Amino acid sequence: MSSRVETSSSPVAVGVRTVELVDCDVHAQATEAMLAGYLGASARRMLERYGRRTPRVTEWYPRARHSGMRVDAWPGKPGHIWGSDPELTREQLLDEFDVDYAVLEVLSGQDCYDHPDFAAEWNSAVNQWQVDQWLSFDPRFRGTIAVAHEYPALAVAEIERRAGDDRFVAVLLPASAAEQLGSPKYWPIYEAATAAGRPVAFHTGGYVDHRGAGYPSFYLDYHVGNGIVMQSQLASMVAGGMFDAVPGLRVVLTECGVAWAAALRWSLDAAFELVRDAHPRLQRKPSEYIDEHVWFTTQPIEEPDDPQHLVYAISQARLGHRLLFATDYPHWDFDSPKQALPRSFEPSMRQAILCDNALSLYGLPGERAV
Amino acid sequence: MDTIDCDVHCAPSSFDELFPYLSDYWRQYIAEAGIRLTGVAHAYPGGVSPPAPSSYSELASHVLEGRTPPGLVVLNCVTGFETHRNPYFTAAVASAINDWVRSEFLERDSRLRASVVVSSVSPDDAVSEIERVGEDPRFVQVLLPVRSDLPWGHKNNHSMFAAARSAGLQIGLHAWGRAGKAPTPSGFTTTYLEDYVGNQPIAQAQVLSFVSEGVFERFDDMRVVVTECGFAWLAPLLWRFDKDWKGVWREVPWLKRRPSEYVTEHFRFTTAPAHLPIDAAAVGQLLEMMDAPGMLAYASDYPHDHGDGLAPLLEQLSEDERERVLWGNAAALYGLEDAHARRRGRAESGPPPVAGSR
Repeated sequence: MSSRVETSSSPVAVGVRTVELVDCDVHAQATEAMLAGYLGASARRMLERYGRRTPRVTEWYPRARHSGMRVDAWPGKPGHIWGSDPELTREQLLDEFDVDYAVLEVLSGQDCYDHPDFAAEWNSAVNQWQVDQWLSFDPRFRGTIAVAHEYPALAVAEIERRAGDDRFVAVLLPASAAEQLGSPKYWPIYEAATAAGRPVAFHTGGYVDHRGAGYPSFYLDYHVGNGIVMQSQLASMVAGGMFDAVPGLRVVLTECGVAWAAALRWSLDAAFELVRDAHPRLQRKPSEYIDEHVWFTTQPIEEPDDPQHLVYAISQARLGHRLLFATDYPHWDFDSPKQALPRSFEPSMRQAILCDNALSLYGLPGERAV
Repeated sequence: MDTIDCDVHCAPSSFDELFPYLSDYWRQYIAEAGIRLTGVAHAYPGGVSPPAPSSYSELASHVLEGRTPPGLVVLNCVTGFETHRNPYFTAAVASAINDWVRSEFLERDSRLRASVVVSSVSPDDAVSEIERVGEDPRFVQVLLPVRSDLPWGHKNNHSMFAAARSAGLQIGLHAWGRAGKAPTPSGFTTTYLEDYVGNQPIAQAQVLSFVSEGVFERFDDMRVVVTECGFAWLAPLLWRFDKDWKGVWREVPWLKRRPSEYVTEHFRFTTAPAHLPIDAAAVGQLLEMMDAPGMLAYASDYPHDHGDGLAPLLEQLSEDERERVLWGNAAALYGLEDAHARRRGRAESGPPPVAGSR
């Protein structure tokens, strides 16, 4: 432990601790009943009488056991599901692994098409629930701003509403949306996030109706395919010119793997050489935009038989200062902070991934009261 | 060094060239509706690439009569990778293309092999077409577009693989196809760059499908040749595939081995585009990360230009490994070992190669 002042058992802060571990993808999940209380009468009636209309991805691809969650992450408390109880998350994640900051990504608003009136209220409810139940519960929890991303004006209003609360460290969008994420449709959201000093975290999941190769049959190929979707989105982001349109934009590609980044850079750069004249907006090679604007969370980190190959993949993609550690608690493929990073990673690289990269991206303090 | 070029394109310049192989009904259908070969689904726009050879003489002058002509050539005609939804029409066009390829090219040069093209919206018609022409030993594989309505490994497509294997054919999975719906897993694209690079993520989705659906447990000597979709992405995909399978193997109980083992045994990748790193050390790492000498098969992809290509990788291979990439892997894949022996024999004694040696 690196606490400068040893603390007693008193709950009152009496010292500071140097931050060592930031978990950049933790799932808090609100049940519909939990959010209903935050909705106005009309939206609440719509929810209770008609429900949300889009089937969730878990209804396309059921997860083999326990809904794809750690079995011990289902609380015994009535009315709770995995990820809905901050006390259990504190016990199983923050205390168990000495996590200094846990960035919450609440996906309750992400994978459904809703009417704009409902979508705005629903996402605002997600954010207020984070404030009331999580950010106020333990200062180690940090939030991400959920937005009605298909209705950018409403999303911008929500970003502006939450921007004054420093505990929200990013704006959250899904990795799949009605249009490609590089589409100018979404640029107002990116502009608002950047103006508010927040990166945009794109989290695996969301709209599943684009495929290119058709729908996979199983959770296995769907889930591995999440990395493939993000490759395609990153190509869209670069080719569409959004990094020129919003020069300060920082994006975090979340829960999509990391090792594929090098091959995508090579193919984008090679292809760009051949068709440069189709992209008058692009001032630089695709890989240079990726270097400047893109971060990746680690979980589910790829596991080659020879761990040195992962080091190769990361250095080929110049990701040493762009990787953010994540456990993805409470999902079944949780990456433990103690085991997930291979021993082949140099200590300085571990330190960057586990802590420093996230502190500088999110502007989090390097010390915290304990 | 002698080469088998696993991806050379040919294409009729218009439907007129296919008319001799189409019935009156389809000639009328095409003429009256003004249907043209727009090429949007195999989008090498005119500004990016010259058209593929539409006659043997064009092919000969550009590919077969150069200073170092390939020993054998696999012709791929992607004209059928169109947007049409009428399954009767797509089947008729596929048959016409195969007949055209056979009479315009295969009959004229014993160095030529070709892919059987089939309807990509109707597995039943694909089976019939494979049965109709697949026994001709000059056809070496069934050509499928990498973009599909349903991933190719899906059980609805297995009858096609059964027919292919009975006819001694492998499966070729080629870039492009099925435009008209979102061409990528992230949605509709607005630039050519995204479509072009998009072939690579989609090829990855197909690799996942073939393995997850247990295709190689059912067709244990089938090979899938991923063509014009790169290969530098393979190793990281397999790292994640193996990891996930360890967690959710119950869902696919027919898999007896790790996904990566099926892929290494059953998939081959053509070398254009290569899209390799610029730095030689990274190329060396790539060679450590995948069995390139065992899995790559040379292709020029004439007439498409993908930039610098394969040279940085070939430079790092041994003489024997280079021979496998340039000839041996394709020869084993398509059963062309005899052709090699015959060519070597010819170099010594002079007789020309004989058509139909597979």
